Amino acid sequence: MTMFKKAIATSAMLLMTAGASLSAQELRIGFSRDADTLDPANHRNRETQTIIRNIYDGILTRDSSMNIHAEIAESYRQVSPTEYDFVIRQGITFHDGSELTVEDVKFTLERLFKEGAMGNGQTSPRASLLGPMESVEILDDNTLRVHLSEPWPLLPAMLPFQEVVSKAFVERVGTSGMASQVNGAGPFKLVRWNRGESVIMERFDDYYGGAAGIPPVETACVERVIFQVIPESASRVAALLSGDVHIISELPTFSVNQVRNNPNTDVMTVNGTRSFFIAMNNESDLFSDLKVRQAVAHAINKDLIVDRILDGYATSIDGILSPDAFGKNHDLPTYDYDPAKARALLAEAGYPDGIEVTMDVEGAFRDTAEAIASLLTNAGIRTRVAVSEGAILTQKWRTQGGEKSGDLYFSSWGNGSLDPHDIFVPTHRTNDRGNSAGYANPRVDELLDAGAAELDVERRAAIYREAEAIAAADVPYVYLWVPQDIYGVSNRVSGWSPSPDSRINLHNACLN
Amino acid sequence: MSLTRVIERLLQLIPVLLGVSLIVFIMMAFTPGDPVDIMIGDQNVSAEQEAAMRRDLGLDRPIHERYVIFLGNAVQGDFGQSFYHRRPVSEVIVERLPATIELTLVALLIALFTSIPLGVIAAIKKNSWIDRSATVFSLLGVSLPGFWFGILLLMVFAVHFNLLPVSGRISYSNQVEPITHFLLIDTLLRGRLDAFWEALKHILLPAITLGLPMTAILTRVTRTSMLEVLRQDYVTFAEAKGLSRRKVMFRHALKNALIPTVSVAAIETGSLLGGNMIVETVFGWPGLGRLVVESIFVRNYPLVQAAVLFYAVTYVMLNFTADILYTKLNPRVKL
Repeated sequence: MTMFKKAIATSAMLLMTAGASLSAQELRIGFSRDADTLDPANHRNRETQTIIRNIYDGILTRDSSMNIHAEIAESYRQVSPTEYDFVIRQGITFHDGSELTVEDVKFTLERLFKEGAMGNGQTSPRASLLGPMESVEILDDNTLRVHLSEPWPLLPAMLPFQEVVSKAFVERVGTSGMASQVNGAGPFKLVRWNRGESVIMERFDDYYGGAAGIPPVETACVERVIFQVIPESASRVAALLSGDVHIISELPTFSVNQVRNNPNTDVMTVNGTRSFFIAMNNESDLFSDLKVRQAVAHAINKDLIVDRILDGYATSIDGILSPDAFGKNHDLPTYDYDPAKARALLAEAGYPDGIEVTMDVEGAFRDTAEAIASLLTNAGIRTRVAVSEGAILTQKWRTQGGEKSGDLYFSSWGNGSLDPHDIFVPTHRTNDRGNSAGYANPRVDELLDAGAAELDVERRAAIYREAEAIAAADVPYVYLWVPQDIYGVSNRVSGWSPSPDSRINLHNACLN
Repeated sequence: MSLTRVIERLLQLIPVLLGVSLIVFIMMAFTPGDPVDIMIGDQNVSAEQEAAMRRDLGLDRPIHERYVIFLGNAVQGDFGQSFYHRRPVSEVIVERLPATIELTLVALLIALFTSIPLGVIAAIKKNSWIDRSATVFSLLGVSLPGFWFGILLLMVFAVHFNLLPVSGRISYSNQVEPITHFLLIDTLLRGRLDAFWEALKHILLPAITLGLPMTAILTRVTRTSMLEVLRQDYVTFAEAKGLSRRKVMFRHALKNALIPTVSVAAIETGSLLGGNMIVETVFGWPGLGRLVVESIFVRNYPLVQAAVLFYAVTYVMLNFTADILYTKLNPRVKL
C-alpha cells in the first residue's frame, strides 16, 4: 500500500513538474506597442527595435549597465581617427543554418548607410544613426574595416542599435519580404507575428551564446517568448496581476503599490535616459534676461515634485546630462528652492510685481506642469498651463533658428546611447534640432563641436564637463530630473533586469 | 428599390469620396506636426539626412502635387506606402480588418439580442420595476465612458475572478491556420471547439464594452416604438378579436415596432467602428481602430487617409443598407 501511495505521489509529482515545466517555458511580455516591421534596417522606432533585438544580434551590444561589448564581433579597435577594425567571430549561424560571414556584416552596414541601398531608390531611415560612415572594406576572412568621412567617437555607442542580417536571405526575399520574414542570428527565432497582437519567438538551439563579456554565454533559458501588445497601461497592469503576462513595460507610478502589494509580482526600476527640463524662450524680451531665468530656477522645488508626483521615481539633475552619462559634470551649481530669492531677482530685473507667463505641456505631463505652475506662481511668476499635442509643440518650440513664440515649455529629450553628443548637441547647440530654448553661446558651440571629434576619452569628457558648467551658469533651461523606467515583473522571472536604454533583452531570462 | 435607384445611389458615392479624400488630405497636411521630425525623434541628425528622409517619403513636393499623385494612385487602388510599416497601406489595413469586423459584429449581436427583448418587456410592463431598471441601464449605457467600463470589466473578470483573458484574440497554443481570418468561424471550420471557446472568451469583454452604448440606445428606441405601436388601433382590434396576447405582441406589434430599431442599428454600426478605437486600445485588440489612432499621432498620412476613406465608404454603405431594410420592412416607404 505504501509502495502504491509512493508510486501515486511520485507520478503526481512528475505530472505536476511536467506541467510546470511545460508552462514554465513561455515567457510573456506585456508591451505597449507592436513592431512596425521586422526588418532591422527599415524602421525608426524604439519598440520595434526592442522586439527585433531578441531575434537579431548586433556587431556590438550593451549589458544592463550600459557597458559596450563585442557581440557578433569578437573584438574591435580604432585604427585611426576615421577607421575602425572589427574582427568577426567564427562559427555563428543564422536561424536557417547558414554561416554568418564577414560579407554579411559588410552587407548589413552598407544596406544601412548607403543611399538607395534598400531598393526602389529608398535609403534606410536608420542611415543617420551611423553618422559619417563612408565605406566598409573586407581585410581578410574575419576582419573588416569601417571608414568614416570624419572623426566620430560615437561609433561604438551607436552600433548596438543595428542588427546583422544575412546577405543571401535579403537578396532572396527582398526588402518587402524582410518586413515579415526573419533570418537572424539572435537567441530567438520568429515563429509567428500576429500583427497588432503578438510576436511569438522560440529559442534558437544553435545560438552561439551571445556576447562573450555578458555571461552566461549559452542558448536562451526559456523555450518561447511572446511579446503581447497591450497599449493601455491599466490593461497591462491587469494582465500582469492576472498572470497573463510576466513582464510589463512602462508601469505607471500610480500602479506601483498595487503591483508591489500583490504577492506574485514586484516592481523593478532603472535610471532612464530621458532628461526633463523647462525650456525658457531665450529669444523673448522676458527670458533673455539672465536674472529672470535664475528666478524661475529658484522658484521650483524639484525634490517636492519628485517626491509627491513622481513618487520618488526620478533623479534630480542640475545640467542636461543624466548622472550616468559619459562626461557628466558632477560639480554643477544647484539652484536651491528659494521663492524669496526668486522674487528679489525678478525685482532686480525690473519686475517688482512679478510676471505673467504661459507654460506649454503635453497632455501626459499636465499634473506635473500644474504643480510646477503653482510653485512658480507662489514666487511671483504667475503661470498658466497650456496643454497641447506633442507634434504641435515640437513644431512651435523646435524652430531651428526660425522665429519662436511662447514663454515656457515643459519638455524632455531622450538619449539612448548616454553619450553627450546625442543630447547636448541637439538641445544646446545654436539653432540645432532640439534647442527649444533658443540658446546660443559660441563657446558652448565650439566645445560641442570639439567633443564630437575628440578621440582622447579623458579630454573629451573634460570638454563636456566644461560645456555643462557654462550652460548651468547661463540657465537657458531649468534642468529638472531623469525619471526611472518602471517595470512590473512576475516573481517567477529570474535572470532579467531592466536596461537604461529600455531594451528588453530576454536571452538570459528564466521562468521558474 | 429599383436597380437604377441602386446604381444611382452607388454613383452618389463618388462625389462623397472625392470630398472626404480632399478634406482628410487638407486636414492632415495642415495639422501641425511633421512626420519626419517625429520619426527622427531625439536623434542628432544632419540637415541633409533629414532632407533625404523627407524625399524618400515624398514629402518634399508641394501639397497640391501630393494630392494629385495620391488621387491618381488611389483610383488604381494604390494608397501609397505607410511611413512606418514601409509597406503598401492597403496591405496594412486589410490585415487588420477581420479583427475589427469580427469585434463589431459580435458587439452588434450582443446589442441586438439584449436590447430588443429588454425594450419590448419594458414597453409591455410599462412603469414596472423592469421598465425602470431598463431606463437606468440605458442611461448608464450611454454615459459610461468605454475606456473606464472596459478597465472595470478587466479588473473584475480578468484580475479578480481570473475567468477571462486581458488582451489579444486567442492564445498561441490555440491558434488555427486562418481560412476566413475570422477566428470564431475559422476555429469552427477547423473543428477546434476548444479554440473556439478560447476565441469566444477573448472577444467577450471587448464586445460587451463596445456594444454597451448601442444596447442602451436600441433599448430606448425599441421601448418607445413598441409603446407607440401598442397604442395603435389595429393592436386594440387584434386584441378585441380575441387573439392571444402573445400572438398580438409578436405577430402584429413587434414587426412594426422593430422598423426604427433596425434603421438605428444599421446607422449605429457606423459608430461602433468609431468606438473601436478606444476598445481596441484597452483590450489590445489588433484591429484597424488602434492602428488609425497610432497613425494619427505619428502623422502617418497615407495610412490615415486610406483608413478614413474606408470608414467613409462603410458609413455610406451602412446608411444605404438601412434604407433598403427600411423599404423591405415598411413597403409603404419608397426611395
